[in-house]
Amino acid sequence: MPVAEDTLSISDVIYQLQDYSPTIPDSITTAVCSEAGFETNDPRIIRLISIASQKFIADIANDALQHCRMRVATMPTKSGKVPKDRKYTLTMEDLTPALNDYGIVVRKPPYFV
Amino acid sequence: MDKSMERKFLKTTVAGILLEIGFQVVEPAALETLVEMLFSVLSQMGNSSRRYAEVAGRLEPLGADVMMGLIDMGLFKSASSLLAYAKRSNRGVLPSPEPSVQPRQTCNLQAGTRLPHPPYMPSHMPSFPDPHAYIRTPTHKQPVTEYEAIREKSAIQKHELEKSLIKFLIKTGPTESLFLNQENDCFPLIANKPQQPAYISALIPMDQVFDDDPDDSEMPPPSKKIKLKKDDLNKEEFDENEEQENENEEEEEIVNCEETEIKQEEPIDNPFLRPVKYPAGH
Repeated sequence: MPVAEDTLSISDVIYQLQDYSPTIPDSITTAVCSEAGFETNDPRIIRLISIASQKFIADIANDALQHCRMRVATMPTKSGKVPKDRKYTLTMEDLTPALNDYGIVVRKPPYFV
Repeated sequence: MDKSMERKFLKTTVAGILLEIGFQVVEPAALETLVEMLFSVLSQMGNSSRRYAEVAGRLEPLGADVMMGLIDMGLFKSASSLLAYAKRSNRGVLPSPEPSVQPRQTCNLQAGTRLPHPPYMPSHMPSFPDPHAYIRTPTHKQPVTEYEAIREKSAIQKHELEKSLIKFLIKTGPTESLFLNQENDCFPLIANKPQQPAYISALIPMDQVFDDDPDDSEMPPPSKKIKLKKDDLNKEEFDENEEQENENEEEEEIVNCEETEIKQEEPIDNPFLRPVKYPAGH
């Protein structure tokens, strides 16, 4: 794990999270973590957890976007030209290989209840 | 906050992240997968941070414990990348959820003053309940037991009873006026009904009445009563020696009779004064 090479320590990150508001509301993170037995009064710790999990999801989504772009680029289009402002759709088709890169295997459920 | 609420917010968060990355549309299955992953990452991180904190002998996790948890899960690359992600330019912030309106705490009815803690009890202990719950319940009005007060009260009650009875009789029965002009009767009096002869009540031994004819007293046939009322008024008054047990009833009948006479003169619309109706067959 490349941890120690960094000049920035985790305490610096925590210090900078003083006046930061992550996308996940603090109360949601607090609620989910408290179900796991995690109790703290420090909002910066909560924000750190929020940021880390958010980054995890964002990285996966980014990978999925790359997969999506590649797939679309290789896909033959009817008119032969690629529209400029293309709308990207996140599908399981893209998400599954992205998650596979992270070692997470997603299979289609055999049936929907 | 229940779990569905958390999920709703996590779903919004994931949608926001995806929009930020560059996706415009998302499959429901993919969105649900990401929401589930975010949820389990959050709870797993809370779990492992707590474990690291407990191993280190702390109650509250520090940033280092969270970092260890991140490393454990393989999510930690570097602090600077984390900070770079946190400081990204196009980040959106969700409004924090509004706390749902709590039902207002209905304040209990306080009865009496609560006792303070005795000195040997630490102050963090809960306060005593209302004294009536464990000492005694005071009634707020002690029952009056003085003789004078009771006597006075009963006298007032009796006076009021008489007054209301007089009022009732004036309204329903025959009246006399103090003054000669009968038109505006400001001070009506209950009409006196003269007995014939006036001394007869003094001669009748009222206290030695024995109930020797119970049938007559209990259920007098109505037809007889009416007949008595109409025809033998005077005779009845003289026969009171024989029918002493019926006296009260018959007096009432006399009153009724007189009332009906008055009624013929000036009709009063009072349901109590209407003649008795008997069921069909009589």
